[in-house]
Formats: sequence, C-alpha cells, structure tokens
Amino acid sequence: MFKGGVRNARVITRTSVRYHQTGTSESELSHFNALAKSWWDVNGPQRILHKMNLLRMDFIRDNIRTHLKLNPQDVKPEDEVYIPPYNVDLLPKPIKENIILDQELRRNEILGANKLKVLDVGCGGGILSESMARLSFVESVQGIDLSPEVIEAAKAHKLKDPMLKDKLTYNLQSLETLQETFDVITLFEILEHVDYPAQVLLEALNRVNVGGWLFLSTINRDFISWFTTIFMGEHVLNIVPVGTHTLDKYINHGEIESWLKENGDKFKLVDSKGCIYLPSYGWKFTSNEKVGNYFMAIQRIQ
Amino acid sequence: MLTKRFLHSFRDVVVVGGGPAGLSILTALKNSPKTSHLECSLIEGSHITKIKEFDDPNYTNRVISLTTKSIKFMQKIGNWNYIDQERIKFYDNLFVVDSQDKDANISFTNDSIDYNPMGAMCEILNVQKSLLLRLDDINSTTENKAEIIENVKVEDIVNPPLNEELDWPIIKLSNGDTIQTRLLIGADGYNSPVRKYAGIESRGWQYDSFGIVSTLTLTTEDFNNVGYQRFLSTGPLGVLPLTDNNATLVWSTKAWLSKILKSVDDDMFKVLVNAALRLDEVDLNYVYKKLEVDPKDTSVIDDINWRLEEMENKKEPSSFWDDDNEIPEVETLLPGSRAMFPLKMSHADTYVAPRVALVGDAAHTIHPLAGQGLNMGQTDVSILIETIEKGIDRGLDIGSTLTLEPYVSNAWPMNHAILGVCDKLHKLFGNDFTPIVAIRGLGMKVFNNLTPIKDMLVKSLSV
Repeated sequence: MFKGGVRNARVITRTSVRYHQTGTSESELSHFNALAKSWWDVNGPQRILHKMNLLRMDFIRDNIRTHLKLNPQDVKPEDEVYIPPYNVDLLPKPIKENIILDQELRRNEILGANKLKVLDVGCGGGILSESMARLSFVESVQGIDLSPEVIEAAKAHKLKDPMLKDKLTYNLQSLETLQETFDVITLFEILEHVDYPAQVLLEALNRVNVGGWLFLSTINRDFISWFTTIFMGEHVLNIVPVGTHTLDKYINHGEIESWLKENGDKFKLVDSKGCIYLPSYGWKFTSNEKVGNYFMAIQRIQ
Repeated sequence: MLTKRFLHSFRDVVVVGGGPAGLSILTALKNSPKTSHLECSLIEGSHITKIKEFDDPNYTNRVISLTTKSIKFMQKIGNWNYIDQERIKFYDNLFVVDSQDKDANISFTNDSIDYNPMGAMCEILNVQKSLLLRLDDINSTTENKAEIIENVKVEDIVNPPLNEELDWPIIKLSNGDTIQTRLLIGADGYNSPVRKYAGIESRGWQYDSFGIVSTLTLTTEDFNNVGYQRFLSTGPLGVLPLTDNNATLVWSTKAWLSKILKSVDDDMFKVLVNAALRLDEVDLNYVYKKLEVDPKDTSVIDDINWRLEEMENKKEPSSFWDDDNEIPEVETLLPGSRAMFPLKMSHADTYVAPRVALVGDAAHTIHPLAGQGLNMGQTDVSILIETIEKGIDRGLDIGSTLTLEPYVSNAWPMNHAILGVCDKLHKLFGNDFTPIVAIRGLGMKVFNNLTPIKDMLVKSLSV
C-alpha cells in the first residue's frame, strides 16, 4: 500500500528499535523530561511554543472550517446557504457581512452535529491538546507522549481548567499501540524529533477517518532552518533550550509531498504554509513552505 | 475540601463596575455568537437597573460626545437601537478659539470629508439605559443570561490558596457571596480595586484644575450644530449643543477660579459663563478679583454687561464672526445641575495581568477637553471583545495573558497618544507667556489651513 518512506535510506537501513518503533530516542526523551516543569509558564522557556500554538490553531481551524461542504447533496433548495460564485469582497459591506455570517452559522451547525475526535501525538505538556479540547466542535481529545514527566505536567495542568475535565485525556503511550481511529490527528513538531518519521507518519495516517484530517508541522533541512532554529534560536537568542533540535532530523517539505503523491489515492495535501518567528512579534505565516518551519494539512479522501 | 469548594460560585467572566464601559463589555460578550455561551456577571454598587425607568425631561449634567466610531460599535452590539434618539444631538462643527489671540482659531468640520456628522452629544445615563435595555432584550432570548448583581460592593479580591488547582481570583462581595472567575474585567473607574488586585501600576498626575459641568439653555435655538470651545489661560471652556436650545457646559478651570465659581449663585454663574465666552482675559481677571472678595457682589453683573456692550460696539463689521459662528449666549442654568470634579491624567502601565483585564477609566483617565474619555472606553471594549473572540477561536483559556496580550498591544499605544495630546494641549493653552501665545496662535492658524491634517485628526478622533 505505501511505497518507500520519508528519507528512505535512513528508515530502511536502520532497523534496530531502541524504544518503541514510533518513539523518540532516549536523549530526546531526557531533554523533554527536563523541560516538563516550565512547560506551562507562558513567559518561560516554552513561550515560543505557546506563541506557535496560536498559529497552529489558526491553521487547523481555518482548514477544517473552510473545507466543509456547506450545502450537502440532500439539502432542500430553500435551506441552502448562498455561496456567491465570485469574490464576496465585491459586494456592499452589509451584504457581504450577512453572507459570511450565514455561512459561519451553517459551519457551526455542521460542526456542532458532527463533533470531532482528536488525537494529539507527542502532546508534550498539552499546549495544543488543551486548545483543541476547548473548541466547541471538538468531542474529545486524547494526548499521547512517551515522556512520563511531560505527561504528568500535562495532567496536572489540565486540572486548572474545569472545562477540560470531560473532554481531554492523556496517556503515556506510543502511536502504534492505539487501536482507535480519529477525525483529527496532529503531529506538531514531532517528525523532527523521532528516528523514523515515515513510520510515524504512516501509523498516524492509518488512524485518520475518511474525511478526517492530519495536521503536521516540521522543519525543512536547509541553511535557513539551521540558522534560525539552532544557531539563533538555541545559541544566540536563547529563545529555545539548547539541544531541542538536531539538523539532520529535519525533513524537507518536498520529501513529504512526494511521499504523499506516491501513496496518493487516499490522501490529499490540502494546504501547506511556511512560518517564521519574528522576535517581539511572534510567529507569522510565510508564502514559502519550502524554507524553514512549515505546516501541512492532509485530508483523507477515501 | 469539598465543602470549601461549594462556597464559591463560578463564572467565566466577572465585570466589576456598571458604568458605560462595564455594561458595554457585558453586552458585547453576550451579543457575540462566539462568546455568548460564557457565563457572565456584572457587579455594581448602586441600584443601576433603576436607570431603565429614567424619564426626567430635563437633561442630566453628565453629557459626553459620542464619536462616529463609538456609535458604530454601539450599532454592532445592538444598544444603539435603544438610545433615546430624542435626547441626543448630532453636531458637525467644532469651533475652537484662543482667548489671547482672536484670529487664532480652528474650525473642525467634516465638510471636506464624507463623514457626517462629527459626533453626537449624549447623556451618559442615556448610554447606560440603552445598554440595560439591550441586555434585557438579549436575556429574553437565551437561557444563559447576563447577570447583574447590583447594590453590592466588592469587598476584596484574593487569590486562592497556592495548593488549590484552580488559580482563578476569588471576589468577596458585601452580601457575603464569593465568586471565582476565569476572567475578571475591571471597569471600576479611576480607583479601580481590580487594578490594585492585579498589581498594575497607574501613572499620571492631578492637574491643579477642576472641571465644572452644567446644563444650560441658550438664547438662540440650535446654533447650527456647532460645538464651541474657547481656550482660556485658566483652561478650556466648552459649550456643546443639545436638542432645542439646550446645551451642556464643560468648563475646566484652575483651582483658585473653581473656588470662586463654586461660591457664586446660579445667576452670577450664568453671567460669568457668558463673560468667559467673550471677554478678554484682562477683563475676566478683574471680575474674578472682585468676586474673590465678595461672591455676592451683584455690581459685577452690571460691570460685565457694560464690558460686553463695549466689546459689541468695538466689534469690526465682519472679521471671522459671521452668522455661522455666533458665540452662544447662555439664557438659564438648570438649577442643581452645576457639578465640579478634579481633573487628572493617568494611564495604567498595562491593561492585563493573569486573569485580569482593565477597560475604561480603570485603565486611563483623561482631561475632558477633547471629550475622549467615554470613547476611549468604547474602543477598549471593542478591542477586548475581538481579543476574547480570537482566544475562543484558538481554544485558549480566555483568562490567560497569552489570550489577552493583543488587547494591550492594540489598545494601549493609541490611548497613550490621545492622553499625551490632550495633556500637551492643556499645558500649551494654560499659558499666557507672550512668545508661547504667539507661536501657538501661528500654529493654530497654520493648522486651520492644513485641511488634510485636520481631516486626519477629525477622522482619528471621530471615526
């Protein structure tokens, strides 16, 4: 079914499994264990991650909401939401606002009737998991990670917000041991920290329901990435703890793209965006996903 | 442990203060489809809902100028429909003169730009009433109602013990209740207890000045929708139109003068307003000196009238004063409407802290000379609601500083600029040192002819 893999050579030749098959190496683990305590300090060492989470949530929300089918086949004509066949910006403002409000309400309706089951792979302290769990159109979120300390930090922080109580669970577990399938699976900032990224991606994609989404982010393996994430981020500006990144684990956008194409009939790369961190501003989307950090939205079409 | 928890009730948002800013943020939260699910309460020390029954035909003395921008926001959150339209007055011209240089004046109009009108004079009570009615309207259509807890004071705001999981602030009320809230919004005025709880520093100063307000009737009905403001060295004096021949007075004066103005009776005060709108500062100072000795000295009235007549006779056929720019003349003073308050400027270092946001006077107090106080509060509310909506979209905890930070970066700099400009204007015009008078006169003349820049200012203040 799936041919090849991301960065074929390394994945295929190295067969020894040190931890779990889809897990991270021990040195990665001890690094993240050490970070667990400060994970939720929004002004602490993980501030940049908290800021990135804002962009992740925009990316996820926009993709899920804009790709909804607003008028399903069986809808009565009088119940149809008007979708102008041209740019709504051309319309007078009040009309434009009404059309957009109408569409937004329909989206809420559709999402409200089919709430999503979410899996956050490599949830860390739960920054993304908590945000996903607070969304009104999310039914439940399961966060998994292999670092016991961060899972403990995540569980402890969850108690600080009563609205998460029934929607969010955390498990110290690896991806391949999960039997369930999900509407949304997230793999944010994970692939560059694991030894077998293709394996992880494959395991994740296999657990996405038809029509469901896989969102991921990782980093292109180029000079810009080394300069921004390792040289500047870790060593000069100290905005990321030293040792967070390893350059040869970075994966180019094109590698995932072509891998997806080879395995293409089931999955579609719907959206990808580059992003960059600007000190004193935060993260910002760029128009070039082939340089530095990038996000991807992959939808299962069948 | 369990019993202790049940002592508090829980909310998503608690607003402290039922002024226009507090009621606006409550209405905005309940109006937005993104935030209407939040459980919100407002705490107010007075019997605020009785404002809904207010229908005294006389104008109240707390009148503000609503900018077009504020009106748009009120339309958005829906309370504009509940504004008593018979009690507001649109005006489209503001005429500003310098007492020490007759030719130095600025005429703010919006003729050259397509904004019409410039603003609306409106009682604060009218704004509050419209918000309360709008909230009733919203509450009638939903189960999750906005709650107003009135006649109740905030006794204390404390943090929960460190070993508790929930780090939400606990508000202790004078009726013995305690509420624990995810987000606490301070709309509680200049001495904001919420700001003090959050440990946010507010910086500023008292001017050696007082503002005097009063409701007036003028001899002429409706002076062409023109607001009139005269900068005296003791502070600016504004007469702003209300409906028919009603008007409202905002007179900022130095402390020594405010003492005199407070001690005179209504008849004398009326004459003094007319004098201060017209006479030279030398004449005014003479009059003030006489009144300082005896505030009941009625010969002063004759003296003023004589001086005004003299002035009228000397008036050149037509300098700037054509019919459109008639100086308003006060006919009567609404008894009991005269009130005085100290003027100050203050600005909080930030508007947010963990689980806290400040709006309105809790965040900034401003010199009333440009009538920006309430409008700045409306802008705060409009930015804060957008910030909270964005936080909800992103699944954030709305009490987290991560959610609230954009509110500060979007609201603080503009407020600081407005505060700074008004402070500088106050200081610039409170001066009678000749070179400064000359330079500011030149500046005003130049400014009056720089239509694009003037439009920009009108736009930024009113739209």
